[in-house]
Amino acid sequence: MKNIKKTLIKYPYLEKPVEIYERECGHKIVFAYKRGSLINISSWVKTGSINENDENNGISHFLEHLMFKGTNKHKAGEFDRILESRGAIVNAATWKDYTFYYVTIPKGSDERNFNDTLDLHADMMLDPIIPDNEIGEPFDIENPNIKTKRERHVVIEEIRMRKDQPWTKVYNQTNQNMYTTHPYKRDVIGNEQIISTITRECILDYYRTHYTPNNITTIIVGELNPDEIIPKVAKAFDFKGRKNRENDKYKIDIPTQTTKYVETYSRINTGFLMFGYLGAQAIDIKTCTILEMLALILGQGQSSRLYQELIEKAEKQIFNIVSTDYYHFRDGGNLFIQANFKPNEKENAINLIKEQIHKICTDGITEKELKKAKKKLKAGFAENSESVSDIAETIGFYMTVCNKLECVEEYMHAIEEITLEDIKNISQSYLDINKAVISVLMPESYKK
Amino acid sequence: MEKYTLTNGIRTIIKRNKNTPRTAIALYFKLNNDEEKSGLYYLMIQLFYQGTKNRTSEQLANELDENAIDLNIEKKADYIRFKLLCLNEDINLALEILQDIIENSTFNEFEKEIIKIKGEFESDLDSAKVKAQDEYYRTIFKNHPYGIGRKEVIEQISKITKEDLLKAYEEIKNYGQKNISIAGDIDKEIIIPLLEKHLCNIKNTELKDNRKKVEPLNKNIVSIIEKEDANQAQIFMGWRFPNIYSEDYATIILLNTILGSSGLSSRLFLELREKQGLAYTVRSVYEPFILSGHFFVYIATEPKNIKTSLNGFDKEINKIMTEIISDKELEEAKNNAIGKRQFYSETNLLEASLSGYYEFLGLGFDYEEKLIDSIKNVTKEQIIETAKKYFAESSALCVLAPRKYLIEADLLKI
Repeated sequence: MKNIKKTLIKYPYLEKPVEIYERECGHKIVFAYKRGSLINISSWVKTGSINENDENNGISHFLEHLMFKGTNKHKAGEFDRILESRGAIVNAATWKDYTFYYVTIPKGSDERNFNDTLDLHADMMLDPIIPDNEIGEPFDIENPNIKTKRERHVVIEEIRMRKDQPWTKVYNQTNQNMYTTHPYKRDVIGNEQIISTITRECILDYYRTHYTPNNITTIIVGELNPDEIIPKVAKAFDFKGRKNRENDKYKIDIPTQTTKYVETYSRINTGFLMFGYLGAQAIDIKTCTILEMLALILGQGQSSRLYQELIEKAEKQIFNIVSTDYYHFRDGGNLFIQANFKPNEKENAINLIKEQIHKICTDGITEKELKKAKKKLKAGFAENSESVSDIAETIGFYMTVCNKLECVEEYMHAIEEITLEDIKNISQSYLDINKAVISVLMPESYKK
Repeated sequence: MEKYTLTNGIRTIIKRNKNTPRTAIALYFKLNNDEEKSGLYYLMIQLFYQGTKNRTSEQLANELDENAIDLNIEKKADYIRFKLLCLNEDINLALEILQDIIENSTFNEFEKEIIKIKGEFESDLDSAKVKAQDEYYRTIFKNHPYGIGRKEVIEQISKITKEDLLKAYEEIKNYGQKNISIAGDIDKEIIIPLLEKHLCNIKNTELKDNRKKVEPLNKNIVSIIEKEDANQAQIFMGWRFPNIYSEDYATIILLNTILGSSGLSSRLFLELREKQGLAYTVRSVYEPFILSGHFFVYIATEPKNIKTSLNGFDKEINKIMTEIISDKELEEAKNNAIGKRQFYSETNLLEASLSGYYEFLGLGFDYEEKLIDSIKNVTKEQIIETAKKYFAESSALCVLAPRKYLIEADLLKI
């Protein structure tokens, strides 16, 4: 194919290397061969709450909903009906750095499912009409007498749903307080005031700004022949000269220099808490892998330190749940420790977690723990290579957040290379007990 | 997929999937007796992680994690299932650990585990959705173990003694039906001797089911939960439906597809979400067990929409009971339901779980093909008849919302 640059990337646990095709317009197509009866077609767009501000917070996610509301060729609902009537799973997701749209569908006995899915998916990505009658009239959120409810209300219901989830509440508080200026501080879903009033023009303008060829990667995974499908994908994704635009850059936030403590209340019976730390930029594969290992050793699985020390070996049962996570983001990931505890033991709960953080920073980890972390990360990668949708998500993440799939090789290499010393150094740099964001959600009866 | 019977009579399904790095094992233990005290079986499965005569709980946890072996033990309505997932090279070790747990669990840490379970369940119940769903199960399966939820376990679990637990486990271990299913890049010449070696001491007998029958729901039951700070009302409305052996099983799968089990094009989704903007989540679920089954519709919506949502449910349920569906909708529902079934066996773990489940039920590991044929043969008359047959019966409704809105919706009197 003319004007398409092809690169091969060795990808663990797949039979063949992954193929990347970079078109002259900037649009990238990635193909991964995976035996089986299902195929996955997805497009990843380099935009999410990272490109939002206080006036349009939630627009990326709202647009994601509205992308399903028809094109000039297909009216709203047709895309879902046609594909689901062939057994497809159709959906989309929005996060801080990206928005992606996907279809997983049985391959079928001929090319029909692939061809039709590709045409419908490309059409949705390139020609959304986002009609007023589907968005719904802007309205006053305080007015209880709104009769016609459209997609604005669906998203507002999603916001309401999240308000009833204690873990989401405690996460949002942590997230908001971890940043000062960076757009990551905002909740991806936005708020009711913005969603109820944002205009169609504003949404279309956002689409035109961010859904550009260089911002989109289309990924195909399945038992398919790339020589046959890549030209079809390139043809279906006709951007008709759409202009590219450089993505905005944001100042990287520095971690809080003192511990920030936030306490909120709800009608619940147990306490929820979260410690949050800023991590490394996603492209810094080695540091991020070390932080992933730290999260794993600290609080993932029944053999983890927090689980063993705070639940299994605890003399007094203070904790009901304790675990850790590491989230990867372009401009710096997050390490979270989350716990559910008996509310009358709040101070103890916080101190016990601090002790464990202090211990890992001071003493490091054991050889055995390092070996375990390495094996678990590799097995985790194997797990993510078992289904077409998981493979697509891993590829989409690296292509969109790190800008290159070579990071997969770097990641596997980093797992092998990381030493006890590396873990100790990184824990000391990132997990200072006096520089944490701590958010606690308590039962209302504890409100002073 | 091939079937073997081990020397001790355990039915074994093996599926070789080449070039897959992890092997999955699903082992089913049938439950033939009701638990005497609520939470007993759940406590039992939690204690399986708490150590054996050969391994302390910490050693067990370390050995599993160091070898990246995922062990998940579940208590479901009709069985206990051990699910293991490991890298291919660790299959022997995974089976050895499984054997140790089954044969040598000490069930120590009994009191501590009870406290942990109570804490976990209290934490779960801080979610409005979980709280309402728990109450819905209690209502639809009133006075039956199928309806035991977290709330009841929290209240009752302290009454369980270690003797109760040991007695119940002896029953399950020595007298119940077991079957195993394995999927992965495994050679049957290697795996069969390993299974014989590690599972040879498990007894497998086919006993009659002594569990309490599920009594019919003779009247509509409404259950409400007041939660003043709820941002959404949680609404579950359900009906008793037949078990998986029913001749209506394939028809109900389609009924569920049409109404709201799947994706963005179902009737409930289109009507209540897309047209009326009432919800982000609205769906239907059919859950068949051995002794009975149920079908429910669910919506989470702004509390002032309770009545509108219930009317929406009524309208859609009435429609499917009274209006014959078009050939096109039936054809699309069939293709949807059949296509979606390919997702149920995409990974080794899913495949082992599904084939093991069918074998557990006595339907045969290859039941999937028969089921697909049955789905293909469902007629539109069967859809309407089946809908009438079950939706016309009594229902259970559970609504969680602030008091004011429960009153407004006539679910609560002032």
